[in-house]
Amino acid sequence: MANAEIKTMEDLTLEERERAEAHPLAVPFLFLGRKSFQDKFIYIALIGLLITIGLGFIYPLHHPAPYDVMPASWGWIGFLSYSFLVLCAKPLFKLLARPESYYGEDPNMDLDHIPEEQPHD
Amino acid sequence: MIELLLNLNPGLIIILAGMICAVLPASQIRKLLVIAAPIAGIVSISTLYTDQEVIGGIIEVGRQSFTTLRIDSLSLIWGYIFCVVGVLNGIFGLHEKCQITDSSALIYMGSAIGGVFAGDLLTLFLFWEIAAVSSVPLIWKGGERAYAAGVRYLAIHIFSGVALLAGAIIYGRANGGDFTFGHIGLNAPGGWLILLAMGIKCGFPLLHNWMQDAYPKASITGTVILSAFTTKLAIYALARGFAGEDILIYIGAAMTVFPVFFAVIENDMRRVLSYSLNNQLGYMVCGIGVGTSLAMNGVAGQVAVHIIFKSLLFMSMGAVLYRVGTIKGSELGGLFRSMPLTTVFCLVGAASIAAFPLFAAFVTKAMIISAVIKEHHYVISFILLFASAGVMEHSGIKIPYFTFFSHDSGRRVEEAPWNMLVAMGLASALCLFFAFPFGGYQFLYSLMPYAADYDPYTADHVIFQLQLLFAAIVAFALLKRLRIYPAERRAEIIDFDWTYRKLGLSVVKWLGAMWMRLNAVSANMRDRFAGSLGRKLQQVFSPAGTFSAGSPVNLPYVLTAAMLFICLIGVYIGAS
Repeated sequence: MANAEIKTMEDLTLEERERAEAHPLAVPFLFLGRKSFQDKFIYIALIGLLITIGLGFIYPLHHPAPYDVMPASWGWIGFLSYSFLVLCAKPLFKLLARPESYYGEDPNMDLDHIPEEQPHD
Repeated sequence: MIELLLNLNPGLIIILAGMICAVLPASQIRKLLVIAAPIAGIVSISTLYTDQEVIGGIIEVGRQSFTTLRIDSLSLIWGYIFCVVGVLNGIFGLHEKCQITDSSALIYMGSAIGGVFAGDLLTLFLFWEIAAVSSVPLIWKGGERAYAAGVRYLAIHIFSGVALLAGAIIYGRANGGDFTFGHIGLNAPGGWLILLAMGIKCGFPLLHNWMQDAYPKASITGTVILSAFTTKLAIYALARGFAGEDILIYIGAAMTVFPVFFAVIENDMRRVLSYSLNNQLGYMVCGIGVGTSLAMNGVAGQVAVHIIFKSLLFMSMGAVLYRVGTIKGSELGGLFRSMPLTTVFCLVGAASIAAFPLFAAFVTKAMIISAVIKEHHYVISFILLFASAGVMEHSGIKIPYFTFFSHDSGRRVEEAPWNMLVAMGLASALCLFFAFPFGGYQFLYSLMPYAADYDPYTADHVIFQLQLLFAAIVAFALLKRLRIYPAERRAEIIDFDWTYRKLGLSVVKWLGAMWMRLNAVSANMRDRFAGSLGRKLQQVFSPAGTFSAGSPVNLPYVLTAAMLFICLIGVYIGAS
């Protein structure tokens, strides 16, 4: 009877399989990989941002630059700079991306590293 | 001789250990040396330095004297941190039983330490070149594709050395043969050449490509070692020779900005980190340009913490490459399930470079930005803040997210080997210690070249720094939700090195082909010309020729010798 209860990997649900395959230290943190958590992550950052904006009014900068006259100036700089960089990525990729063998070098070079290392464990 | 041994440059001890490693077949003893030598370096520095500038190890060669040892408040922090990271690198590379790597790593580290303790430009040049040559095997160990990158790296660094030597000779001659390495400045004779040499090594814009070319192709251990020394030696040399030069403010600002655009589209995570390294060097160069005591302290502190957290990030990517076999962002994702400890260490490195409060760069980068604002360089300070958001993008989010989180790549691998985990753990502990508000950052500040009167944990600094970082995270999360954030894609991203790797190569090939054609066409013409010239010379110089007609038989020899002598005089005048 006991043998009948042993499940093979194929019998496990996706969640059970993920737990079985994960490193023991990673098991309590598997929620980090779920889409539902990643989608909600924005709210954690947003709450942090709002708190720091509020505190920024109570503790203003000691040595402000001229652009710091705008409320939440560093927040604006962080948000707009980041967005600008990411928005530049598409046209830049179009402009600068070439096939991996463009310079005539083997694009699968990563694997070259492995045989040279001599693991001790 | 005894004076020389008592004042031995600590770098020489490590170089000696590297030379012993080269002939030591027993890997256990070699590994012991790799870790013990930098520890011996720390002991040697602390024994030699006693709050006063130490100058010694003077060697006379002909009429030239070399000051091989100078430890002062500026070089001290570089020396210590080079030794500390040497120990970490040694632990990280314990699994790799390779004689060349061990030997190169020690000689390379020793020459970098030797360079920062060099008292004159000629000694600096010697260590500069040893560092260049000894680091190449670390690149070549990266496999077949690393060979060409290693050759390019060597050529560029040898050129940097030649520029340094030329500049040093011009500078020394103008100073009556005094080659002391102090403040040089751009108005000094040879100043621009020396700046060029240092600019190549610390990745000035358009001179930076060797870094992104060679570092990602080096061996796993090699990249970690390489990331620590070359560029920081150059930063030290700049801080010593060109502090307060305005042009460096603008060069540094440009260095902080342009790499972030490349990093955002790069797929190779070790190449992303190479761009990130370039970007961090920009803050340091900018601080050197400002040159005030606050800025110089910021530079020294930033060098110290950057060496640690950048090594940590390269170590974590090295561990991933070691286990997974690739480091392309498009092939990774979800690795936190298999490598949770590596993930945590990478996150500590990411938080440190992004300058989160309680993490390393928070207590140093702000010094540079504050110094820039205090000197009323507001546009530059804005650029540095823009670049800070960029740092958050490429190193704070992209590296950990696409490697360990993002979509699950389905790869289930083992956690990194124990030695890698120990090295990353120690580096993480240092990142936290250097930013710890109670005794941590104060210890770091006590090593700085000037008395540090700066408190990083003011309410306004903590709040506004968090504001910038949270805003960047919100932007990331929003752009991901809106599916605007670009996916990682395999590609070769061309940079300025396209000019010599593609355009330059094509031009050389074309010139070669043209030369071959011209050669074929002009072969007859050249043969006729050479034959005619030979006959004419024979008619003039031979014993039966014009010069000998009616003259003593030795006259042609005398005239030839006179001509050579005149040429020699001409060359001598031209050279002096």
